[in-house]
Amino acid sequence: MSPPFFGSVSSSSPILQPPLNPESNIVTINVGGHLFQTTKQTLALAGSESLLSTISDSSESLVPFIDRDPDLFSLILSLLRTGYLPSKAKAFDLQDLISESQFYGIESLLINSLSNPSQFEAFNLEKSLILPLNGRDPPSTIATTPFGSLHVAHGGKITSFDWSLQKKTTILTQFSAIDSLLPLSPSLAAAGATDFSGLQILDLESGHVKSILNWENVTRSSSTVQAIGASSQLLFTSFESGRRNSNSIMIYDLQTFNPVTEIGHNEIYGAEIDSAIPATMLNWVAGYNLLMASGSHSGPSGVQGNIKFWDIRTGNIAWELKEKVDCFSDMTVCENLSAIFKIGVNSGEVYSADLRKLGDGNPWICLGDRMKVVNGKKAGVGGKIESYGNQVFCSREGGNLELWSEVTVGNGAKEGGLGLGLEERVFRKNLMGRVKDLGGGKVTKLAFGGNKMFVTRKDHQSVEVWQSSGKGF
Amino acid sequence: MEDQILQPPITTLTQERLKLNVGGEFFETTVSTIRSGGPESLLYALSYRPRDDRNPIFIDRDPEIFSVLLSLLRTNRLPSSARRFSKQELSDEAVFYGIEANLKSAISPLPFNGIDASIVANIRPTSDGVVSAFTAANGDGSIWLAHGGQISSYDRNLIHDRTIRTHLEDITSIRRVWPGIAALGSYTASGLHFYNFFSGRHIGSSHWSDPTDPRIYKARVTAIADSSTSIFAAFDCPHRENSILVIDKSTLQITSELGRQLGSSAKNTVAGKLTWIPETNVLLGSAVTCGAFGYSGYIRLWDARSGDVVWETNEPGSGRSSRFGDSFADVDVDVESLKLFKVCSKSGDLGVADIRKLGEDPWVYLKDKNPGMGNTSGRGSGNIKIHCFKNEVFVGREGELEVWSRVEETKIGVEESKENIEDLYRRNYVDKAEDSERGIIKEIEGGGDRLFVSRQNVEGIEVWETSKFSAAVSVL
Repeated sequence: MSPPFFGSVSSSSPILQPPLNPESNIVTINVGGHLFQTTKQTLALAGSESLLSTISDSSESLVPFIDRDPDLFSLILSLLRTGYLPSKAKAFDLQDLISESQFYGIESLLINSLSNPSQFEAFNLEKSLILPLNGRDPPSTIATTPFGSLHVAHGGKITSFDWSLQKKTTILTQFSAIDSLLPLSPSLAAAGATDFSGLQILDLESGHVKSILNWENVTRSSSTVQAIGASSQLLFTSFESGRRNSNSIMIYDLQTFNPVTEIGHNEIYGAEIDSAIPATMLNWVAGYNLLMASGSHSGPSGVQGNIKFWDIRTGNIAWELKEKVDCFSDMTVCENLSAIFKIGVNSGEVYSADLRKLGDGNPWICLGDRMKVVNGKKAGVGGKIESYGNQVFCSREGGNLELWSEVTVGNGAKEGGLGLGLEERVFRKNLMGRVKDLGGGKVTKLAFGGNKMFVTRKDHQSVEVWQSSGKGF
Repeated sequence: MEDQILQPPITTLTQERLKLNVGGEFFETTVSTIRSGGPESLLYALSYRPRDDRNPIFIDRDPEIFSVLLSLLRTNRLPSSARRFSKQELSDEAVFYGIEANLKSAISPLPFNGIDASIVANIRPTSDGVVSAFTAANGDGSIWLAHGGQISSYDRNLIHDRTIRTHLEDITSIRRVWPGIAALGSYTASGLHFYNFFSGRHIGSSHWSDPTDPRIYKARVTAIADSSTSIFAAFDCPHRENSILVIDKSTLQITSELGRQLGSSAKNTVAGKLTWIPETNVLLGSAVTCGAFGYSGYIRLWDARSGDVVWETNEPGSGRSSRFGDSFADVDVDVESLKLFKVCSKSGDLGVADIRKLGEDPWVYLKDKNPGMGNTSGRGSGNIKIHCFKNEVFVGREGELEVWSRVEETKIGVEESKENIEDLYRRNYVDKAEDSERGIIKEIEGGGDRLFVSRQNVEGIEVWETSKFSAAVSVL
């Protein structure tokens, strides 16, 4: 019997025969002794930088040889052909696929097929992974990137998980605890704390401090970081002076980290509380070209706060909402729904306000579903609310996660929407997870990236990952 | 003898052969095999080549999965190597080659048979997983589940397709009135609501109103049925006035009303179950109420065109005196054989009536001949559900699922009559004792070749199928 490669030596065999037509689209590649054939168009999908497109461009008549594993290459080729991995990929470790895709220069395609935000299925999320954190510090804050890599601040350390959540690196920072964290690029993040002066731009691979941004306040005291936000070009930081008598929002260039401008500078004289509240949440609302800055203060007369939308070019407030009654305990802007959402600190209710109808008066509309008020205590304290895509996620009590979604009413229903006599938009909630997943510790942070939701809970030294079990690993 | 054996290869030799190169691997097959996907398929189109073209046809796809699909075309069954691929993958690839019909016939379960069915899956939605209502009406084995105000669809491979949120908090009846449109009713909110499943939009509502009668308000929907042109929904007002509204399927507008009644007694409460019988153009409605003195209720048949009641029975109150006080607990109709089946609330017996020969007392009570089954007597009370599917009758008693199936007639040529029908059915358990401990059966419905069972306060829904594989368990 002839050895299996016998045919490939013989020139008469159809296998090794180069395509009869030199103009042919068909490309033959020998990977680790296994011959694959595909088209130039398929290989072109790998992108001009990749090894595969250089193969398809080469006009040599010899069959190119790649000294790699043919089984893994067949997965890579399937990914190029169909856009997703075949199920036989489950027999391999994701790490093998990642290193193989890096070798061929198509890691971005792999990420796209496995951790694309468009694959986020809010209604089909289930608790799927626990990411343990080494050491004993529970996470103080977490931050995500659009394709699902995760940075977790716990104590003075930052642990970064890659998009596949398979690899991590941990760096030590100068902070004792990090309160605000924002990834700026794959290797850079801005970090700040409410008890530490200055915003630090950190290299997440080496732990090296690239630069420290300080706010020169009048009292010449330290400047602590209350919140960080970013648009595509600018970095926003909310500072408060160490003596807590002045605060401001500084705007930096995201490339050079040079100051661009300063907005909302407040010096506190007397007992005017409102101006003494620094922004503890900064959110760039791209569709409206506005910066949302909100903060609250708990005093003897209850919790008060404000939500401001800044026009950063003029430095003026486009719209401001003073929160005196049932102030938010947490709030979020959902651009896809053109609305802001809050949890009332006293009532514990979820409210929405339509961004398109902001004006005078109280814009908040209670979304209903009254929560049990326990002994008249502040029911919404410590609640968390975040939006991602078209949905709003919130946690109010008992560690349960709620999913709020809008019910869209077609043109068919004329009689005041659903016949419920409601003019307003209709939102409905569901408890997330199966019965066994309900409860758990109080939720301290919710974050979203790629097709995943990340949850941290009080005193848990780990991060929960929720994703849909459809395709992928 | 030898000639006969050699015969088939010789005939195939004369057939036109075809070479394919799929992703670098070579396949050789006959033109007739490659064309068995039908003239619409990609493979059929590729099989047309100039006779002198000796180059194999090149397809830039995965060769391993193609080899599976090629043996599907050759043998009409999936080879064991198909197990390496998910159903989703195989069907995606079959769609690419245009041979999804061949795949469907190969992977769809055997015709459902209640005496030989087992649980193959438990569909569990990820949130608010207790299923409040479901419909398998599409008949291809796909299912729509209503759970916690959401509707989730699972396709014929039982893979989650999509979930939409409705404005209702609790959906208690659901019907797929068009391929993409669900009609929903709730015990806690008024009206019948239509949702477009693909856009997730609420596209309309029907409310029962009558300007001349102030008692007609906030009517809730208790049951939904549909014919090819109309939707029937039973509405119930807070003060128990009730009626069945007929809604045009294309305009989704109310066209008429059937049998408005006061709801002052068990004989005129709202129908809890509606079934359309296309063969005879009648609508079956039934209501059961259970009180301190046992069960009572009615079964009624309406002529859809005239709106007249063509037959009705009230229990207790009519029928054989021997059965007095043994009112039915649930009723269903077998729309193919045109038979009504009821389960008696006290005795637990199964009664059957021929719809074409209804009269004063049409019921025949089936004899239970299986000594291995527990006695039904005294087992009637409690939660009983009955569902007719594929010429069998499924009865859920508390958590137990049993099936009544017809045996082959011993005397050929004997007309089925009232006298001999009582011997024609045999009763068997579908489930095992441990299955029944999962919870009280809430709803049973068949669709495609699957039976779906939901249980009270249990997450998810059970899927039962008949399989030819023995599922032998190794005890080594």
